[in-house]
Amino acid sequence: MASGNGANTGKPFVVLRSVTKNYFSFRALDNVSFEISEGEIFGYIGPNGAGKTTTMKILVGLISDFTGEVRVGDYSLPKQKEEAHKLLGYLPQNIAFQEWRTVNHALTTFGRLSGLTAEQVENRIPEVLELVALSDARHKKISQLSGGMTQKVGLAQALLHEPKLLVLDEPLGGLDPLSRYQFKEVVLALSKKGTTILFSSHILSDVQDVADRIGILSHGRIRQVGTLNELKARMTIEKTIEVLLSHQSDKWQQLKTLNGIKSVEQASPGRIHAKLETNADADEVVNSVVQSIVKLGIKVQGVTLLQPSLDEIYLKHVQEGENA
Amino acid sequence: MKLPLLYSDELKGFYKSKVMLFLWVGLPIVAVLFRFVQYGSSGQAIPFTVISALVVSSLAGTLAAVMLAVSIINEKNRHVYELFLIRPLKRRDIVLAKFLSVYTCVAVASLIAVAVGVAADYTTANAFPPTILNDTAQSLAISLSMVAVSCSAGVLIGIASPTVLVGAILVIYGGNQISVIPLVPTMLNLPEAPLFTVALAAAVAASLLISAVALFERKQF
Repeated sequence: MASGNGANTGKPFVVLRSVTKNYFSFRALDNVSFEISEGEIFGYIGPNGAGKTTTMKILVGLISDFTGEVRVGDYSLPKQKEEAHKLLGYLPQNIAFQEWRTVNHALTTFGRLSGLTAEQVENRIPEVLELVALSDARHKKISQLSGGMTQKVGLAQALLHEPKLLVLDEPLGGLDPLSRYQFKEVVLALSKKGTTILFSSHILSDVQDVADRIGILSHGRIRQVGTLNELKARMTIEKTIEVLLSHQSDKWQQLKTLNGIKSVEQASPGRIHAKLETNADADEVVNSVVQSIVKLGIKVQGVTLLQPSLDEIYLKHVQEGENA
Repeated sequence: MKLPLLYSDELKGFYKSKVMLFLWVGLPIVAVLFRFVQYGSSGQAIPFTVISALVVSSLAGTLAAVMLAVSIINEKNRHVYELFLIRPLKRRDIVLAKFLSVYTCVAVASLIAVAVGVAADYTTANAFPPTILNDTAQSLAISLSMVAVSCSAGVLIGIASPTVLVGAILVIYGGNQISVIPLVPTMLNLPEAPLFTVALAAAVAASLLISAVALFERKQF
């Protein structure tokens, strides 16, 4: 799946500056600042209790008592909440509907409350239900649907009025792999049409798949914001070259003598990891490793400079947050 | 202005709820049962219409208040309101729509119960006693005034209470006491007592609703 970058104009559509929120003596958000450009998909990750939901609730106007500056489009929150609400769609983490509602009834109500006419709602409901693969459930009671299907109804109500900003709090929770794939396709398609999307998730591979930029939050503080490549580049972990052997051989131990190599070890049978010295030029060391392999007559399947994964980046920053 | 939309929406939810079903059907049945009990006892027979009005004011008010409080507490705790509050509408409209929809349902249920009473009295006596319509109108006005106070107390308690248990206790013990306030002019035998009762009920209900709206406006979801 390709990453977003659809209609990203670079113009900030969402702005949070020095946002701080306290729940009595507990500081849930501490000086949080980031911007999201128009049409951008922003993945928001962090451990439970980091403050992701609080950030999102502030952004959609559910929480008003905070300090700092929050803007959505041209509107400042919480003062111009009602104007900002016309621009946004929100899928809460724990979506709940009144038990007596059918899918059709819930979508009609929320569509009308979002400013659509009765005719617009009637036309739009089949479209969004098809988008979330829920057309068959239109006249079913929501209380009779599974958790995953209810989550889809939640997404449908957020999309009904074609909002400019979509705020999705853990939207993939409870979805099966196919639904997760469909969801990501929907998000990417919306981004291409110019919808700005902020979404949080614990499933880092999903964030990696769709997000243009990622924000890592831990203990109420933003630890990192950037594209995945920027986050990787900023990561100061030991660089490692992985050599995959075609045949078992001990000759790889001679790679230890190369300049720039700190240590060499067999990670698993046939997988050799050569750790680089901190100040070593990775490209030069990869070249000399390849030349040595040829010279030593080691048969290999491949040589790769390992990049830190989003999981590693996430863990590093979250652990730093815990130790701070 | 989203109030009419929210009102008709809430009405759809409430009118077919189990509690409302009891009010639609149960109130007239309970009134009929009272009538039978009364026939079995000695003394002057009270018109069935008046019995119906009494049943309405005592039962319907409490039931409506409990229903409102429990519904609000449940919806609050399940985060149902989040989907409403992120839309361009006034928070006060949500509160007023809840109050108005339940009050409408209870008012209609009361009219049905009293209509059954009027019909029963007409069937029994084959004619209306001369003052029955005036008495009925007064009883109904007083009953609906008390129901209005009960409903507004239910809304306030629902917004303020953290759990269903606390809410139910507060409604049953507190809400009932508050709903008696409009009866003070009648108890004091003031001239034009029914008029004062309606006015007092309107004032008390409005105060409770204003407090409920203020609380709901400040609530963080």
